[in-house]
Amino acid sequence: MSKAKNIFKIIILSLLGITLLVHFNKLPLQFEYANSIYHHITNNAVKETGSLNFVTAILYDYRAYDSLGESTIIFGAVSGIVLLLSRKTLPVSSHGLSFIVKRTFGMLTPFIFLFGIYIISHGHLSPGGGFQGGVILGSISIIFSIVYGSEFDYKRYSPTTKTLLETSGALLFIGLGLLGIVMGGNFLVNLKILNSGVGSLISAGSIPFINIGIGFKIGAGLAIIFYSMIQKTFKEEVNL
Amino acid sequence: MINNLVFVILFLLGFYAILVKKNLIKMVIGLNIMEGAIFYWFISITDRGGMIPIINGTQVTSQMNDPVPQALILTGIVIGASTSAFLLTLIIELNKFTNSTNPDQIGGMIED
Repeated sequence: MSKAKNIFKIIILSLLGITLLVHFNKLPLQFEYANSIYHHITNNAVKETGSLNFVTAILYDYRAYDSLGESTIIFGAVSGIVLLLSRKTLPVSSHGLSFIVKRTFGMLTPFIFLFGIYIISHGHLSPGGGFQGGVILGSISIIFSIVYGSEFDYKRYSPTTKTLLETSGALLFIGLGLLGIVMGGNFLVNLKILNSGVGSLISAGSIPFINIGIGFKIGAGLAIIFYSMIQKTFKEEVNL
Repeated sequence: MINNLVFVILFLLGFYAILVKKNLIKMVIGLNIMEGAIFYWFISITDRGGMIPIINGTQVTSQMNDPVPQALILTGIVIGASTSAFLLTLIIELNKFTNSTNPDQIGGMIED
């Protein structure tokens, strides 16, 4: 019975594969770029936004409203996870690794933090940005939990601090958007303040500040997700 | 058309995991493989063989890859990560009540 079912599934899969391959091969190899937005962005993005990284210019200037929705989705996921796995009790994932690992990560962790801050603050000049640097910042909490034990993570980087960082990042993003209306423009318009020339660290208007807000929001959000997940999974293992 | 072939193989691998495997965590892994196949195809079809869309200085080079699909895929990757985290959380809660990750067994428990 189950063997016949599996053969039926494999036949359906192979038919789907042949159909996909035939129809995807009929697509043109190179799309025409005659009147696309590509020309506008490559010719005018530096003048209009002041950002050398065009992906960052699209994410936080042309489509900043979309990035706001994206961070709202992450906020919703974090809220749902915290609602399902309540974080009242202290997690007991690990009691810390050996002395050598603790010393090594004690020396490495400040540099990981510095690298994350660098990736966030140079998002408009080099590869990187708020999302990528925020993931690096979020890994610090995971290192605390695994290498030093969950109690250390709870004391040094408590859930209240994580929640405060996440909400302040989101409020910075929305506040910059509302400041655009106050200064006489649209919601999330790029404010042309604090510009010191294209290519310097403080340039590109409000893009670096949105990057900082997104970075702290993502880092704290990932830390909250990890903290909530280890709590329930490992608690049951201890009870067994 | 090597990118279409790679896309179809990866997509079918993920779809096979969702159809055949009897473990909810393996099904989430299959969903992530399907997502990765779509991201790979979308990036590879808009590749003009140019340089990355980050300029050095003030000059604009004409041979540059399109930055718009890369921004779209960055959005997609972040949303995929948050949805898979939420799915894994639901599986943890389901495992706490039913003590199983097999969808057939869980369906039988709910019917009883």
